[in-house]
Amino acid sequence: MTALHFTEEQRDCLQELVNVAMGQASDKLARYLATMVHLQVPAIKLVDTQQLPQHFAQRYQQQSVSLISMGFFGDQGLRGEAIMLYQLANVDVLARLLEYSDDDSSEAEMLTDISSVLTTTFLNGLAEQLDNSFSYAAPRILSSRDQHFADKLAATAQQWQLALQVDIRYQLTDYSFHCDMILLIPGEAVLRLRQMLDQILASF
Amino acid sequence: MALNVLICDDSLLARNQLKKSLPADFDATIVTASNGLEALTVLQTQDIGLVFLDLTMPELDGVGVLEAIKAQALDCLVIVVSADIQPQMQQRVMELGALAFIQKPASADKLAAVLHKYGLI
Repeated sequence: MTALHFTEEQRDCLQELVNVAMGQASDKLARYLATMVHLQVPAIKLVDTQQLPQHFAQRYQQQSVSLISMGFFGDQGLRGEAIMLYQLANVDVLARLLEYSDDDSSEAEMLTDISSVLTTTFLNGLAEQLDNSFSYAAPRILSSRDQHFADKLAATAQQWQLALQVDIRYQLTDYSFHCDMILLIPGEAVLRLRQMLDQILASF
Repeated sequence: MALNVLICDDSLLARNQLKKSLPADFDATIVTASNGLEALTVLQTQDIGLVFLDLTMPELDGVGVLEAIKAQALDCLVIVVSADIQPQMQQRVMELGALAFIQKPASADKLAAVLHKYGLI
């Protein structure tokens, strides 16, 4: 078990940065889908990556889930992998909104497109507030309808020491849809992040 | 005479950020609240002239506070400071009586511009 953690001040600071970044991503999603997104207070916590698959398997019991991953690389050792989780039961709603056809390849393309919009907007917003900048790997689908997502998440998560679990719910006002975002980051990046948060806190 | 100002935000960082970004010549006595319910209690018991109000908060959100201010005819100006920048949300808070909308993070420039525009400095 790692000794890495955030103080209450650091957690509050990070949550506010996440809140601002989430607002920017929600605005982009709302414009993309031509609807309104209901924002909720984002919950963040640092968790051992080994606990992640079980946690999400419980949350998405008996539901098909698709996982889209995107690597990000910033200055000063800040890097990681952002994973979006979508309930496939909601995907049809999105497909109708965006006028995608309902075959599997179109579904994959749609989820990749939305993940790209959400992840890059969110992470750009976070990076800007940290006086940093990120570059991104192409998004990739980790699991589809036919694969068990918890196994795929376990395989991906084990490459990283820690997960910054950001419970972001993008709930559309007019439609039922939400997704989760997880940021997986290595231990040294958590240390860098803590230093950056301390610098922000010291300035106020 | 100093204006009584309420800063309502669930984030300590955001409250401190806003407090520190207010213009030096803005003569104000600052009180704070960390959610909408606390804000309403302050508004019902103190003579508050101006509220800086976040929207996304636990307990009672900023829209709920604006609705309560309107329903109870509380006499105060409200400037919304929020990360929820969707045009529909900005329109909604203005319809509920907000004076202005400032996108988070609140900077000294943005605050000074709004306070100046409405003759508060």
